[in-house]
Parts: sequence; C-alpha cells; structure tokens
Amino acid sequence: MTLETLRPFRLGRHRFGEDATVMMAIVNRTPDSFYDKGATWAESAAFDRVRLVVEQGAEMVDIGGIKAAPGAEISVAEEKARVVDFVARVREEHPHVVISVDTWRAEVADAVCAVGADVLNDAWGGADPELVDVAAAHDVSIVCTHTGGVRVRTRPHRIEYDDVVAAVLHDTLAYADRAVAAGVDPEAVVIDPAHDFGKNTFHSLEVTRRLGELVATGWPVLVSLSNKDFVGETLDQPVGSRLVGTLAATSVCALAGARVYRVHEVVETRQTVDMVWTIAGRRPPARAIRGLA
Amino acid sequence: MRVVVVPPVPALLSRYASLTDPVPELRAACVSAVAWLVEHDDARIVAADDQARRIGEELLAQGLAGRVASASERIETRIETGNILVMANGSARRSEKAPGHLDERSFGFDSEVEAALAAGDAAALGGLDARLGAELLASGIGALATLADLTVTRAVMDYADDPFGVRYWVVRWECAS
Repeated sequence: MTLETLRPFRLGRHRFGEDATVMMAIVNRTPDSFYDKGATWAESAAFDRVRLVVEQGAEMVDIGGIKAAPGAEISVAEEKARVVDFVARVREEHPHVVISVDTWRAEVADAVCAVGADVLNDAWGGADPELVDVAAAHDVSIVCTHTGGVRVRTRPHRIEYDDVVAAVLHDTLAYADRAVAAGVDPEAVVIDPAHDFGKNTFHSLEVTRRLGELVATGWPVLVSLSNKDFVGETLDQPVGSRLVGTLAATSVCALAGARVYRVHEVVETRQTVDMVWTIAGRRPPARAIRGLA
Repeated sequence: MRVVVVPPVPALLSRYASLTDPVPELRAACVSAVAWLVEHDDARIVAADDQARRIGEELLAQGLAGRVASASERIETRIETGNILVMANGSARRSEKAPGHLDERSFGFDSEVEAALAAGDAAALGGLDARLGAELLASGIGALATLADLTVTRAVMDYADDPFGVRYWVVRWECAS
C-alpha cells in the first residue's frame, strides 16, 4: 500500500496527514479488564497512566469504563460515573491528545462528547443505533467495528464464516455508510476488523493476513491486537507474555497500511510501526549517515 | 567568475533524506555557497565521478530554483558559463570510525589542501599528491587541480570540519576574468 492510497483523516478536532500513524493507548476505568486487572481503576492511577502514555508519545488515549468480556452488568449511570468526569479532566490537562471513549451506548457517548471526547470507539459494531447520531451531532469520529453480529459483551461461540474478511468488509462498510448517512464527516470515520470479537483465532489470523483488503477500501483502519487471545493461542503464551506476538502481528498490519494502533505498550508499538512504515517507504529514517558520509 | 568547492556527500541528496538531517550545518553552508555561485549566472560542475556529479547537479538545481522558476532549463545551459562548482573533499580516513579507518597521513594531506583553499592559493592545488589523496579516499583532488591557473581575488572558507571522519570544506572563491 503506497502513500498515494493512504488518505488524510480526522479524529475529532485532530487532523492527520496521509503518512501519519497513531498510537491509541488503552486506559481502563475498570476493575477487571483482562490485561491490567484493575491497575488503573483508581482515578489517580488512570490519570497517571494518561500522563505516562502521553510522555511516551501516544497521540491518543482510549478510555473505557466497561471491560469487553462478560461480567457484572454495568448500568449507564455507573459507566458515566466511571468515564465522564475523567474525560473532562484529561481534556483539560492534555488539550492536544485525541480522546477516544470505548463505549457502545449513545447516552454515555453524548455525555463524553459534551466534555471533549474526540472519538467514539464502538467495539460492538453499532449495537446502539443512535450512536452514529451522537457522533454526527458532536462532529466527532466513530470507529466502525465488526463483531459478527454477536451481542454486547459475549464471547464468540462456534461462529463460522464463509469468508471472514468478506464479512468484516460487509459489516464495517455498512456501518461506515450508516455513519456518513447520519451526518458524520466521511474523513472522521475509521474501520476496525475487531480481532477476537466474534472471531476465533483462525479468523483473527486471517483478518491479519488479509488486512490490506480493508486498507484498500480507503477508510483509515484501526487495529486492536494488543495482548489478545489470538496472539496467546497462536504462541501458547499467557497474558503478560504476548508482547512479541503482538508486535509481530502489528508489523503485518503496519505493512498493509493500518493507521491507528490500540495498544497497551506505546513505546514498543511505536518503534515497530515506525520501522515497518519506513521499510514500506512511507517514512524516512530518523537519521541515516552510514555509507553516506 | 566564481568558484565554489563543496564535498560530494551522498547524505545531501534528497533521496537519502532523514527526519533529522545528519549534516545540517554542511547542507546550510553548501546551499548558501551554491546560491552565491549562481547569483548572476549558471555554473558548470567539475567532479571526479558520476555520483559526485549527481550531488552537484542537485545542489545546483536547488540554487537555481531559488533564483529562477525553471531550474531544469537553466542547468541545460550552464556549460556556457564561467562559474564552477567543484566537488571535492579531503581524507575519509581521519579516525578509527571513519569510512576508511584511520590513516595518520590524513592530517598532513588535509592541512595542505585546506590551507590552499582558505588562502585562494590556486597554484598549490595543482601540486597536490593525487596518488596519496586516492589512498586516503579523498575525492575530487584532480578536480581541484583544474583550478591551478586561476587568479583568486577573494577566498572565503564557509565550513571546514570532519563530523564523520571525512574532511569537508565549503569554499567560495572570487576569481579574476
């Protein structure tokens, strides 16, 4: 995928050129997410995490108040309590950082947009049909994911596809079209195949292998690979030992032209993406003099 | 007429651009010297090889682009003019990390060239030891020798350094005729 086929895009009020890639650091406002197990459940810890990832160069944070996996029911009021004031505080202290909120609920989305969120990261593929209207009303970006039609916060069970990438393309493009029809700026729409969501490991591997087909649609592609089960199952590694596999998968997606990387490890992923982006001829080396003096 | 000497450093080529320029001071000196060279007229290039010539052509194109709209057209005609861009540098064996490793003879050789360039002593350039220069991986010593008959009325050394174990000079000469 050459630079000519990659387009500029917008994440809320923040614009990115055709050569840009974005590190989207995960910040959980949850007591029970799989990777950090509540490490940033306390607001002060979550804020420290934001400060750290911004220092590490993350252009974007993804704030989530509900873990993706099944678990205790979290009410709208509780989700808002976890994220709205926090978003406001991050907005105030980090005006240049893109703030994404990981929610599928329009009511929560409306509240976070009112206090400065830039992106609605809907991991559940449009489960709440009014989410696109909220994105349009606030002129923010929306991430259109593929979940294979599974219900919110459920694990995939015996799902099969004739062609998983065709299904991903069908659903994400339909969602993107729906967002644009609702009034979302086309430059502010991002698509995400959603590795592991409604997919077994073989599906996620195939999506990774064929990611170029998503990039070829012209929509900026977000990938969320970090420490996921498809990496763990592929390498037989538990959570906590999946960084190498994550970065290998990241390299494949970067070569294909993915633009936004939802990550736990900012520094390692940034270096991986920069290295691959440069190999692909989309970024110059930092400073090359060897053999050129 | 005007003469400018710059080193044929491939890092100056746009195709080898980095996010952070490894030779910012050298580049700035080259760009301004070449701009001076073509201030009133075009220039021709004297270079030891094709690579050095390409680097000179790109510098000239940039210099002319700063002066006229269509640089490429002007370059076609530069042969007719008197100004000269000489592509040359000193030893590439000035340190253990230099491209050609360390050769102690580098320092004496480079000092001799540098003194002649700084003083506008064209005749001295005609007497340089080209064989020693080749052993030291110096580039364009023969090209410098072609200047031997010039009468230099003003000599300015804009840059003299060896950031990577290679001696670079950026020199401007104003000459009679």
